[in-house]
Amino acid sequence: MEIPIRLPFWNNLTRRIKKATWHDQRIDWSGYLFLLPFFIPFLTFTVVAIIFGAYIAFTDWSIMGAPQWVGLANFMEAFKDEWVLKAFTNIFKYGLIIVPGVTILGLIFATYVNKRWALSGVVRAAFYSPNVVSATVIGLVWVWILDTQYGLVNKYLGMLGIPNIPWLTSTHWSLIGVSIASIWWDLGFSFVLFLAALQEIPHELHEAAAIDGANGVQSFWYINLPILRPTISMVVTLQIIATMRIFSQVYMMTNGGPAGSSVSVIHYIYTTAIVRFHLGYAAAVSLMLFVFILIVTFIQQRLLRERV
Amino acid sequence: MKTSNGLRHIFHKRNIKPRDIPVWILGITIAVLWIAPFVWMVSTSLKPANEVMTRDIEWFPRHVTLDNYKKVFSNYPVARWAWNSLVVTTTSTALGVLFGAMAGYALARLNFPGKNIFFAILIASLMIPTEMTIIPMFVGFLKVGLSNSYIALILPAIANVFSVYIFRQFFLGLPAELEDAASIDGASRFGIFWRIALPLARAPIIATTILLFTLNWNSFLWPLLIIFDDNMKTMPVGIAAFTPVVGTHTQLEGFGVAMAGVTLLSLPSLLIFFLLQRYFIEGISQTGIKG
Repeated sequence: MEIPIRLPFWNNLTRRIKKATWHDQRIDWSGYLFLLPFFIPFLTFTVVAIIFGAYIAFTDWSIMGAPQWVGLANFMEAFKDEWVLKAFTNIFKYGLIIVPGVTILGLIFATYVNKRWALSGVVRAAFYSPNVVSATVIGLVWVWILDTQYGLVNKYLGMLGIPNIPWLTSTHWSLIGVSIASIWWDLGFSFVLFLAALQEIPHELHEAAAIDGANGVQSFWYINLPILRPTISMVVTLQIIATMRIFSQVYMMTNGGPAGSSVSVIHYIYTTAIVRFHLGYAAAVSLMLFVFILIVTFIQQRLLRERV
Repeated sequence: MKTSNGLRHIFHKRNIKPRDIPVWILGITIAVLWIAPFVWMVSTSLKPANEVMTRDIEWFPRHVTLDNYKKVFSNYPVARWAWNSLVVTTTSTALGVLFGAMAGYALARLNFPGKNIFFAILIASLMIPTEMTIIPMFVGFLKVGLSNSYIALILPAIANVFSVYIFRQFFLGLPAELEDAASIDGASRFGIFWRIALPLARAPIIATTILLFTLNWNSFLWPLLIIFDDNMKTMPVGIAAFTPVVGTHTQLEGFGVAMAGVTLLSLPSLLIFFLLQRYFIEGISQTGIKG
């Protein structure tokens, strides 16, 4: 049985919606439905979370009770907090070790396996493999390898007559110890990007250079390096951002110690939020980290663009 | 003689000159050194407690034993953690791939106002470090009473921008003729997507699945924050407590058990990687994802 509907306004509206165009084409309204399942969690956990986080940063909140609006007090406190200073100095130091380490080694390794040879596939896989395991694996394996008395590294250094280095237990070495493990973990990423870029370079360029009498190093320096500039810039940018966010290795290997010598900003945020339940303060430091990353990336992009 | 013939065959096939051999040997040496930590990890995990800390370096255990693995399973709820990790990782990966494919399809194929703005918002969101959202998310889940739950681990992981990006790129490059034919036959938009477009997207599905699976399997900071109950921990967070330096174990046997734990933890990722290497490297170089 058909129910006659006489709703001229409604009929008119549906007809107009169906015939609506955008960029001279019929609008596909189902597009919104397709986006919906992705967009609801995306909006909640990105956009809404950021706005909520910015609000928390201006409050005093310890999860119990309501947040108290305190204005800029958290930021004032952070600027006077020696741990904040220490954490930001440390991520800068991490960057100075890890970023060049990953970039230079990644480039060397990629150049090495760029040309196919018998086992190059296996060697490529080997170089990339640490990148797929979790921070827990990296942390525990390297705590063991860098162990002061029984660790592999000190055993081999001992054979060369070098006394035991307290890699993770002294304020001088802890940041370096964590950095070594991080380079091992992160290298695969830059390695793959460099390899992909190298594969694009036409072989003829190197042959022509070889005919002109260029050796391997010269052809790398004058052909590969200029072509790879955009990739190098991208790797450096991404690696800087990743290094400023360093957390899990630190948590696993030194827990920020000894005496905060290897503490990172995220690690400090984590302890502030979880151990001390200073949520407003933790959110304020997160906001500072975000601004810090923006500034550093901006400066770095400028620097890399200037140099020819 | 058979081996040398085989080698000559390799030389010939790959067009390689024998004078390159020293270069190879150096390369293989560096590669072996590079994976030595993994070898050391497995080797330590198979050593009896009293042979872990030795005066000399022993790359291979004098006596192979599975005691450390037995201890891992008897002292900790590792099977439960593995189950938690499996449930969380597979659910969030499957949903992440599906929702990413749907959104990518809409952004590449369908014509509707605002889609360029949507895409711009997605790309802009990549600039924001995830850690900025970790405190508000922590507060939110705690207030709603969803800490210690699978939901807390799965929900934030399903909206992955890279997934959308990969699928959008793929569908932009896919000719639309097949879909047009189906739409003339009166199939619905979703029907076209599900029965025609998605089956054609095998390559991006594999690439995204691998990428999201490793990302989710290795996820660390968020589960560390939001899970307090030992039984609800994921494998990386549970095994993180094996660290013999601050734990209750004596250092002496601690590393054997710890290495057994991380060997179990790294097995799935390394296995998937070595089996599906090609897709891994393709996926990463296409998107520039930092894990």
